[in-house]
Amino acid sequence: MTESLSTVFLVDDDAGVLKALSRLLRARGYDIKVFTSPQAFLTDHDASIPGCAVLDVSMPGLDGLELQQALTAGGSQRPVIFLTGKGDIPTSVRAMRAGAIDFLTKPVSDADLLAAITRAEKDDASTRHSNAELDQINARFAILTPREREVMTHVVAGRLNKQIAGDLGTVEKTIKVHRGRVMEKLGVRSVADLVRLAEKAGISPAKL
Amino acid sequence: MFYLGIRLLRAGSNLVRTCDRVDWPGVRYTRILRGAFLLIVVTFSLLSAESRANDVPRRVLILHSFNYTFPATTIVSEAIRKRLLERSPQRLEIEAEYLDLARRPDEAHALRMANFLREKYANVHFDLVVVIGFTGIPFIQKYRDVVGPGVPVVFSDVTRATYEAIKLPSDITGIISEYYPEKTLALAEGLQPGARRLVVIGGSDSLDRRWREAARKAIEARNPKLETLYWFDLTYDALLVDVSRLPSDTIVMFLTFFSDSEGKRFIPRDVAAAVAKASAAPVYGLFETYLGTGIVGAYTYTYESLGTAAADMALEILSGTDVTKLPPRANPMLAFRVDAGVMDRWGLKQRNLPPDSIVLFKEPSLWDEHRNLVLATLFVVGLQSLLVAALLFQRRRRRQAEISLKESEERMTFTAASANIGLWQFDRATNEVWATEHCRAMFGLPGDVPLTRDTLVAAIYPEDREMAIGVLRGAIAGHQSAVTDVRVVLPDGRLRWVRVRARARADDPGARNQLSGIFVDITEQKAAESAAELQREEVTHLMRVSVLGELSGAIAHEVNQPLTAILSNAQAALYLLTQESPNLVEVREALQDIVQEDNRAGEVVHRLRSLLKKGETRAEPIDVNELVNQTTTLLRSEMIARQIVVDTDLADDLPAMLGDPVQLQQVLLNLVMNAMDAMASTPVGRRLVTISTRATQAGTIEALVRDRGPGLTPVQGSRLFEPFYTTKEHGLGLGLTICSTIVQAHGGKITLSNHDAGGAIAGFTLPAQEFMVAAQ
Repeated sequence: MTESLSTVFLVDDDAGVLKALSRLLRARGYDIKVFTSPQAFLTDHDASIPGCAVLDVSMPGLDGLELQQALTAGGSQRPVIFLTGKGDIPTSVRAMRAGAIDFLTKPVSDADLLAAITRAEKDDASTRHSNAELDQINARFAILTPREREVMTHVVAGRLNKQIAGDLGTVEKTIKVHRGRVMEKLGVRSVADLVRLAEKAGISPAKL
Repeated sequence: MFYLGIRLLRAGSNLVRTCDRVDWPGVRYTRILRGAFLLIVVTFSLLSAESRANDVPRRVLILHSFNYTFPATTIVSEAIRKRLLERSPQRLEIEAEYLDLARRPDEAHALRMANFLREKYANVHFDLVVVIGFTGIPFIQKYRDVVGPGVPVVFSDVTRATYEAIKLPSDITGIISEYYPEKTLALAEGLQPGARRLVVIGGSDSLDRRWREAARKAIEARNPKLETLYWFDLTYDALLVDVSRLPSDTIVMFLTFFSDSEGKRFIPRDVAAAVAKASAAPVYGLFETYLGTGIVGAYTYTYESLGTAAADMALEILSGTDVTKLPPRANPMLAFRVDAGVMDRWGLKQRNLPPDSIVLFKEPSLWDEHRNLVLATLFVVGLQSLLVAALLFQRRRRRQAEISLKESEERMTFTAASANIGLWQFDRATNEVWATEHCRAMFGLPGDVPLTRDTLVAAIYPEDREMAIGVLRGAIAGHQSAVTDVRVVLPDGRLRWVRVRARARADDPGARNQLSGIFVDITEQKAAESAAELQREEVTHLMRVSVLGELSGAIAHEVNQPLTAILSNAQAALYLLTQESPNLVEVREALQDIVQEDNRAGEVVHRLRSLLKKGETRAEPIDVNELVNQTTTLLRSEMIARQIVVDTDLADDLPAMLGDPVQLQQVLLNLVMNAMDAMASTPVGRRLVTISTRATQAGTIEALVRDRGPGLTPVQGSRLFEPFYTTKEHGLGLGLTICSTIVQAHGGKITLSNHDAGGAIAGFTLPAQEFMVAAQ
């Protein structure tokens, strides 16, 4: 048996379908969590577990699209694959716009489903990765003092030390010291690196 | 008068003297006799003096101023004579003399007549003198003593003008005649409203002149609007010529004509007749005597009344009334008198006559003359006619009755044949059958086969024979009506449906074994019925198909789910088998699931197919709960799509029933889908369909479908079962109609109501069939 891949969250109100899909995916080495109703999924699923969700579109109470909206509203970025019996175009368009990985028509072949799941896994992994990197950058920015952060925004805006000193009402020497600390704390060697990092962290240059 | 008494007395004395000479036995006797005789004579003489007053006639002298040729004078005198003789209590002797003073007004003639009277009536005492005509008045005044000094005089036919002109002593009285020429003119104007000219004709005699003046005065006083011409002093011949040339819009008024301008003497009445005959315009006169000569009429009295009135006065005087106490009287009998014949001739209308006009000379009708005879004849003729009419009427009626009976019979036979009806009668006692010819055609019997009970029965389709005979026997036995439908085998092998209606003659004891009735050809009806049944089935099926069409997406989903499971299970199993050490337990489970899911899909397909199938109505045991479950399964996806929750509340003690599962499922499907449709505008969280079943105490099975829609309005409630009535935008309006038909065919009924808490409840009750349970 291969090592356990990611987890797949299966949501379908049809017990037979649920059972068959989980059997199929489990055989492929996925960890399977089944939910017979959208509500149960919303309340019970653990967002921290990597993996994707396979949702049936037509379910009583809350349909797949509504469930997707509810997930997004709750801040989840879990990739979603839809299964539908009808596969009508308007519904699929809506689903894809809302960020679905795929919109598959029942009965679904294992190849299609697995491909979609693989894509979802990658998507999930990259999301999780970029989320982790951002966390690191943010943590680095977080250790800057307010004055250092202020100087940094001026540096990113392309100002010279002398100009910055004029703007902030201090001497060039003080600015130079702050600048050195910023570079040190953030672990960047050049201004170009600093600009790239600030961009990633979503910090905008000072406006003059 | 006394004279008679004296004469009798003398006679009595002579008789006594004669007796003296008879040799009687003694003087004494003689004296007694003489005294007694004297007594008798005195008594007798007193008595005869009394009777003499009655016996001696009263004498009346009638003096005519004219001679007898004047009709008026004769009429008056005759009336006087008649009246006097009729009314007088005493005997009357009437003398009459024609003085002819009017024509001979000279004094010599008067004297001559006076002398004549004196000599003629020298020894005659008159009690009364009647003078007719005014010229006699001066005569009697002058010569009264000739007739009898102070004798009372009654005159007649004296005009008021004359009377007022001559002063008369009070012992001369009489009847004053009044003339109103203006009234005659008024009569003429009334009858001839279009008249433009008035011609007044009068003679030239002195008497004529008096009339002319009186008339002219009266006419001018009246001031007629007509052009008035006075044709006086013409010769008789000229007069007749002139009147013949008058235009017809002329009124001719004829006064008197005692003589013409040449002194020729005439009797006015004759002239009136001649003028009336010659005239080109209607002629009116003054006197009664003119009537009948051709004149239209006059305002006048009758001469008879003049005479009668004078006679009445004379009678009063004769019976002792003092003549001086009787002033002259006016003749009261004035009236408009017209000649009906003449009016007709001139085309004058009786409606233009003044009121109370006396119409004379009406053509005496047969009625007037022989009233009784006419009446009797009419009565007899009438009676006879009635009799004849009655006989004719009766005959006609009988014939009509015969005709109408025949017509009615023909009509009935024709109608019956036209309506494809055969009439028949059967007597069980004699086994005889009477039937119309149409029955033969209906039963397909050839012309040479007699219409009997056996031939008719033989024509009936063998399977129906026993039943038909049984029904008709029952009708005779139970004295009631019976109806049965039989098939008749026609010579060409076709079957004909014949409805037999029979009625036993229960009201007639003499016909107790009789059965009468009709045969009706109902082949077409039967065909139409089966066609209608076929059509109904067709529509029911189409509705089912249409419902399923509506549900096609949902049903596809229902099949898709097991297919999905099957595919996934199969692929899982396949993948498992590719492993080095396959987990065969898992593979088996997958395969088992495949079988199960396949069954599931098969079931949906099966149900779908049975609903889509166009099949005959079946009757098999049904579990209504199972029907509900199947229905909710079918509708599951549709419910999800419409975000409707279904809730079932099924009784577990439902009795079994017999019915067509497909049709009943169709009903349920329809009711549930209606419930779903009803909740289109219900908020999502509240969309709930509740399906419940229960066994009622009445032994029926009840299934109810409740929704949370707006409910039914009263109008909808009453019309929802009508075909083509729909509350849905794209509805056909046949759903509930067909449901109702299906449920009714199962002996149940559909109910629709509103729930107290809102929403509608649609449902049906079906009779349970206990025997089916027992049979199982």
